[in-house]
This record gives sequence, structure tokens and C-alpha cells, in this order.
Amino acid sequence: MNNPILQREFIGLMRQPRTVALQCALAAGLTLLLALRWPTESHMALSGSRSQELFRLLSYGLLGAVLLMLPVFPATSVVDEKRRGTLALLLNTPLGAWRIYCGKLFATLGLGCVMLALTLPVICACYALGGVSLSGDVLIVYFILGLTALFCSALGLLVSTQAGSIDAAVRWTYGGVLLWSVVTLVPHYFFIGAGGSLGELVGWLRCASPFAAMMDSLGAADVGSRGVASTIDVTRRFTGISLVATLVCAMWTIRRLNHTLLDQSRSTGTVVDDQSLLYRIFRRLMFLVDPNRRSGAIGSFTNPVMVKEFRCRRFGRLHWLLRLVSSCAVLSLALSILTTTRTIEWDVPTIGGILVLLQVALLVLVTPSLTAGLIAGERETGGWVLLQMTPLSVVRIVWGKLLSVLLTLLLVLCATLPGYLVMVYIEPGQRFQVQRVVICLFATAVFSMLSSAAVGSLFRHTAAATVAAYGLLIAVCGVPLLIWLGRDAPFGHDFVEAALTVNPVAAALTVIRLQGFRDYDLIPANWWFLGIGSVVSLIVLLWQTRRLSQPA
Amino acid sequence: MTAADPPVVVIERLTKRFGEFTALNDLSLTIDAGQILGLIGPNGAGKSTAIRILVGLSRPTSGTARIAGADCVRDARRIKHLVGYMPDQFGSYDNMRVHEYLDFFGAAFGIRPRKRIERIREVMELTGTAGMRDKYVESLSHGMAQRVGIARTLIHDPQVLILDEPANGLDPQARIEMRDLLLKLAAMGKTLLVTSHILPELARICQRIAIITHGTLRAYGTVEEIGRQVSRQRTIEVQLLDAAQVARTAAAVRGAVEPEAEVIEAATEASVRFRSVISDGGLAELLEQLVRDGIRIAQYRELQTDLEEAFMTFARPGATASPVAVTAGK
Repeated sequence: MNNPILQREFIGLMRQPRTVALQCALAAGLTLLLALRWPTESHMALSGSRSQELFRLLSYGLLGAVLLMLPVFPATSVVDEKRRGTLALLLNTPLGAWRIYCGKLFATLGLGCVMLALTLPVICACYALGGVSLSGDVLIVYFILGLTALFCSALGLLVSTQAGSIDAAVRWTYGGVLLWSVVTLVPHYFFIGAGGSLGELVGWLRCASPFAAMMDSLGAADVGSRGVASTIDVTRRFTGISLVATLVCAMWTIRRLNHTLLDQSRSTGTVVDDQSLLYRIFRRLMFLVDPNRRSGAIGSFTNPVMVKEFRCRRFGRLHWLLRLVSSCAVLSLALSILTTTRTIEWDVPTIGGILVLLQVALLVLVTPSLTAGLIAGERETGGWVLLQMTPLSVVRIVWGKLLSVLLTLLLVLCATLPGYLVMVYIEPGQRFQVQRVVICLFATAVFSMLSSAAVGSLFRHTAAATVAAYGLLIAVCGVPLLIWLGRDAPFGHDFVEAALTVNPVAAALTVIRLQGFRDYDLIPANWWFLGIGSVVSLIVLLWQTRRLSQPA
Repeated sequence: MTAADPPVVVIERLTKRFGEFTALNDLSLTIDAGQILGLIGPNGAGKSTAIRILVGLSRPTSGTARIAGADCVRDARRIKHLVGYMPDQFGSYDNMRVHEYLDFFGAAFGIRPRKRIERIREVMELTGTAGMRDKYVESLSHGMAQRVGIARTLIHDPQVLILDEPANGLDPQARIEMRDLLLKLAAMGKTLLVTSHILPELARICQRIAIITHGTLRAYGTVEEIGRQVSRQRTIEVQLLDAAQVARTAAAVRGAVEPEAEVIEAATEASVRFRSVISDGGLAELLEQLVRDGIRIAQYRELQTDLEEAFMTFARPGATASPVAVTAGK
């Protein structure tokens, strides 16, 4: 603890109300789980199966908690210092990049350790119930969790040195975590059993995911293994990959932690219109919509706030939207081609399920970062006072802001429609299901947008608003899936169905009849939930915005 | 503007309380059209509270504030068109170029696109930001950002400009340019209310100054009037031809003024300066005596009380100066 940064960051983190709230929530959740699942009959206690079920559930829950809660702290660490101007002071001390990095890394890991320490009583209870071995189960799970925390922290710090704003850092970090933990499993699902270098590559890629390692250590089958046995030591490979990846991230971050972070000239603001004809032609060929072209005046009948939102987000510029939409369209069509060429192996619902998962993942990842800071960002930068000084009404301001997000989300959703069209073409009987899936996705988009905006409007800072919005959406989409993982044991069918009712992902997957979701009937209950949730969120958003715009 | 024209800004007995704390206490002020009023006071004096009430961001506990006849509470929508407000925080948006930034606020004020383009060109020329048209707002230097901020306040051609610390953090050249800009705006008939901690700047551009401490108006008027209001003491300087006569001169002065008067000897500058309540007759007698004593005098003059001195009279801790005869609203 003789590193001053470690002292400041760790103690500072522990003093933050959000850290205390996170710890309290974790402790309360675990206590509740233990109380709910504590065996009440003697024969259950003796068999040890109940404690194994609980232990498995806890392990996945803890992994989810580490992946969702921890990355936000390192992701905001450096970029926040840069924004506040304290990074320059820090770099001006004789500490050096190595000690600064270690201070920040170990502070985050310290928090992770505190989080894991909170789980010790409930894990001890599982151990005491029998059926769970210390070296074979408990220590390996904690080892995987430790490696996950280490890589999440290293990744967050790396992104933090590269990002220009807090919300961009949070967005990219969570994107990286999602890519590392979930997307790496997808190729394995498609190319399972493939031999040669492709099979080897897919095998290694799968082993990068902490979920694969956790499933392996808990003795569960691989995701989508479909009975194919695997002799790969996933945990060993995961250890190697995560340690190497952590080292690479650390080296890269330490190399970045110097004056070059601050040694950036101001943008010259060059516009293409003032350049030579040759250059203009070149840009025309490279960009369908050139971001550096001089923009025109906002139209008379256009909501100026909507245009402002598009213009002031780097991601909101049209060329970025076109890139996103193109990627979605290409991905959707690629999945459709796979459907047509390999229908015998993968049925249409499977491909539909993958499409739904990808779309919802995209919605959950993109929406909070676009929406959460709509009001908080204005308050943080002082723009809210300027908006208040214009004759724009609160409803028009909110509508303009929401419209900028809604249009983006609609474009993304529309870009993925070709995949569904191909599905309907192959199997016309799926038409009704596809229609319902599209309704589910639209409802998810609206719910994600309004709930993120409502939660975000309650905060004064964009970072806090973004984290809270991500937390809410992930809780709605992730926690019921965690309960679903424990279906039949320890949770019963009715309990799982009740939990899945709030989950838009599960609703879409039940509609598409994906294996594992066929037994649940979530429509229209889920639509009611999303509808009521959206209306309540809209009311909260308007109420809070109106409150903020009233003279004090 | 004639003497018969009513004042543009009228503040009457404005009071704002936050629970037990009184941020603004019975403030009354008027500003005539085309005038620049400097609002000064230490941090937490109530300047920003007064401004926020004027622009409709805060409600007074009692009293009224009107701008061009519009009540700042009841006619909040009209006030937005009448006032251009520049807060002390710039309020920038990322990834927006200067002309896009101005275009957005022009559109927000409902200016038609064609007129807006023309208006943006005008305000950019007026504020000297025409060369910044394509720069990103967040990449501007502080001085340029302040200018763009003023351009934004002018976009809807308001009658009154309320500028909170426009010269804060500017380098000397930018400060001079800002001063010229504010004078130019006043010459165009705009009424300005400006707060600043850079008192010499305010003294140069403001027709009137209001000093607020602890939410109470302590002085109001021209710099000269305030100087007279804050202190009955006069500062007199006797400039000598021979530095060797400084001590004798100081002794003579001490004999002529009241015992508690402050007398400063500056041998290197060959001068004696004293602050006293001495009358004009007493000054004449002192001069007569000095000449009689053979003191060779180069200059014998009264120094003006400057704004900083007046400000410090009120702002220093434990200041007991009672509110002076304030002429506001008269």
C-alpha cells in the first residue's frame, strides 16, 4: 500500500456511494439466494445436489457480476483524470507510468477482491452442505474469477487511455468485454467438429471466454456442443490466453501513459469544401457522406435538438450510421447464406435465435450509451442552461433527443430484416413468428431507449448515468437468463417463466422457438411489461426534465 | 435614448432566500438602454443569483424584475427573446463546428434558415470569429470560446445582454479585445449587464457600477460617485523637488491633520501621501505652511479613489461600512 495512487484510488473507490451500493446489493442478493435455496429437508442436505446446484448458480452469477460491475471502474479511471486535468499533475510527479498503472490496476483488483470476499460466507455454506470440493470446485472458480477480474481491469485501463470521453470509454470497454466473453463462443457453435487449423483456431477462440472455462470447471457441457465430446483443457488454455492478453494490455497501456496523452494539438477544423478539386473527388469516392463536408442550415420543420444530437455525437454522424447499418445488413445476410447452405445442420429457429441474440446484444450495448447521457450530458457541460434560455419547450427538447436515438435504432433493426426475409422465404410457416419477433425487437428498442433515458436523467454526470442505464438493462436482460440457466434445478418451471417474463431477449427467443425456450409462453405478458415499463419511463423522463427546467 | 425613456432593466426590492440563507436582500437597480452596468462583489455575494432571476432560471422570494416591460417570472418566454445570456460556463458540444453551434441556437430561436445564415455571418463578423467558422467548438482557445459565446447570445438579436464573467481567464490582449467588443455592442444600443472580478476593466467600460456584498446592494453609481460614497477620506499626494525634504514635509502634514490620519513617506519617490478627512480650507492652509517652511513643491494634488479601493472597502472581512446612499432606481 505504499503506492500513493493505490491508496487514493482504492480508498476513494471504497468511499464512493456507488461502490457501497454495489457491495450492499451483492451481499443482499447472495443472502436472499442462500435463504431461498437453503435445504429444508434432511435427505436433500445429505445428497449434496442442492448445494451443487446453488454453487453452480453462484459461480455463474459471480462471473456475471464481475463482468458487469467491475469494468466501469478502470474504464473511467484515466479518461476521468484527463478530463479533470489531474492526469497532467500525475504525470508531472516522479511516480512514472509503471507505478501509476500498478496503482490503478491494483485498486480495481482490490475492489474485485472485496466483491469476491462478500461471497465467501455463501460459498462456505455450500461447502459445509457437502457435494462441493474445496480444491476441485471452489478454488478453481475463484481462480477463474480472479483471472477475469484481472483481464477486465487491464482492458478497461487500456480503453481508458485511448478514449476521448467517459461514455465512449464505458461503451468500448463493455463492447470489449462482450466480445471477449460471449462473441468468442459463437464461431465454436458454427464450426463445431471442424478439423484442421480452422477447428484449432475456433477451439482456442472459445477457450478465451471465461464462460467456457467456468462451464468446463463446473463439469457442464460446452455451449452448443450438441453431444460432441471435447478433450481440450479449457481452463488451462483460458489461463494462458487471459494472462497473455492482460500482459499485452498492460504493456500497451504503460506505453501510452505519458505526456503524449496530453500532447495533442487542437483540431484545425479543415473542411473538404476548401480543399483542392482532386482531394474533393478523392473524398467523394471514399465517403458516401463526407463527415468533413460543411453542413447546411437546420431545416425550418426539423427539430433542432435532434439535428444537434446527431451532429454532436461522433458516432451520430451519418457516415458512421451508414457503416453500422451496412455491417448489420452484411451480418444478417451472411447468417442467411449460412441458413440456406447448411439448413440440414442448423434449423431455421437456430439461425433465427442467433439473429435475435445479436440484435438484442447490439441494442443493449448501443442504446444506453446513446441515451443515458441525453440529459445528464447537457447538465454536465452547461448546455442545459443554454437550452433553457431558448424558447424550445421541454417536450420538444425531449422529443428531439429521443428521435435521434430512435432513428438510429430503427436503422439498425431495419438493416437486419433481410435475414428474416430469407428465413420466411425458406420456411413460409415462420412468417407469423418472424412478425412477432420483429414486434419483440421493436418493443425492446423502445423500452431500452426510454428506460435508459429515464434512468440517465436522474443523474448529474454522464458516466454515472451511463453505468446506471447499463446496469438496469443488463439486470433486465441478464439476470432472468441466469435464472433460466438454473431451470429445473434449482428453479422450477413456473419461477423461470415468471422471471423470463420481464426479459425481451427470452420473449423473442420463445417466439422463434429456439431450443430451451420452447416450453415457455411469454407473449403477451412480456409485451405488457415492456409497454408499461416504457410508458412509466417516459413519464419519469418528462417529469424529471420538466423539474430541471423549472426556475429554482 | 433620451432622459424621458424608461429604463430597460428594472429590479425592485428583489429578495431571494434559500431556507434560512438570504442570497439576495432587497435589491433595487435600473439600467438604461445602451448602458453597461458592472455588477461586482466577492464570491457568494449574490451576483449570479440576481442574474439567474433576471434570465428566468430562478424565482425570487419577493420583489420584481422586469426587462423591457416583461416580468422575469410571468413572461419567461418573452424574456428568452429579449435577453442574451452568457453563463460563466461556456456550454460547448463535442464534435460541433462553430457555425453548426450557432446554427443550432439560431434554429432553437426559430430563425428561418436563410435569415439564420445571414445572421450567423453578421454575429461572427461582429465578434471577430469569422475565421473560426469551421473549427470545432471544443478545440477553441478560451478567448475564442468567450467570443463564440457572445456570438451565440447575439444570434437572436436580443435587446439586453447579460454576461457572467466574460473576461475571466483571458490574456491581456484578449481582454482588451473583449472590452472593445462590449463597447461596440453598447454603441449599437444593446443594454449590458456584466459581472467581472477584473475591476479596472469594468471601470473602463461601465457607465455604472453596482457593488453587492452578502446579497445587499452597497453602492451604485459611476466610479467617481462610488469613490465619493465609500469614503469621506481624501488621499492627497505632495510631490517634492528635493527628496531630503520628505521628513520635514511629513512632520508638517502630521501637525495639520487629525492624529489617526495615515501619512506615508516615500523618500525614493520624493513624495508624501496622506489620507485624511481634511477640508478644502485645511488643505489650503497646509500648502501655505509648507511653502512658508521653504519646502519646494512640484505637485500638490488629490488622488481619485479607484474601484478596487472602493470594492475592498466593502469586501474586506469584517467591513462595517453601512450601505451608502444608493441612487439606484432614482
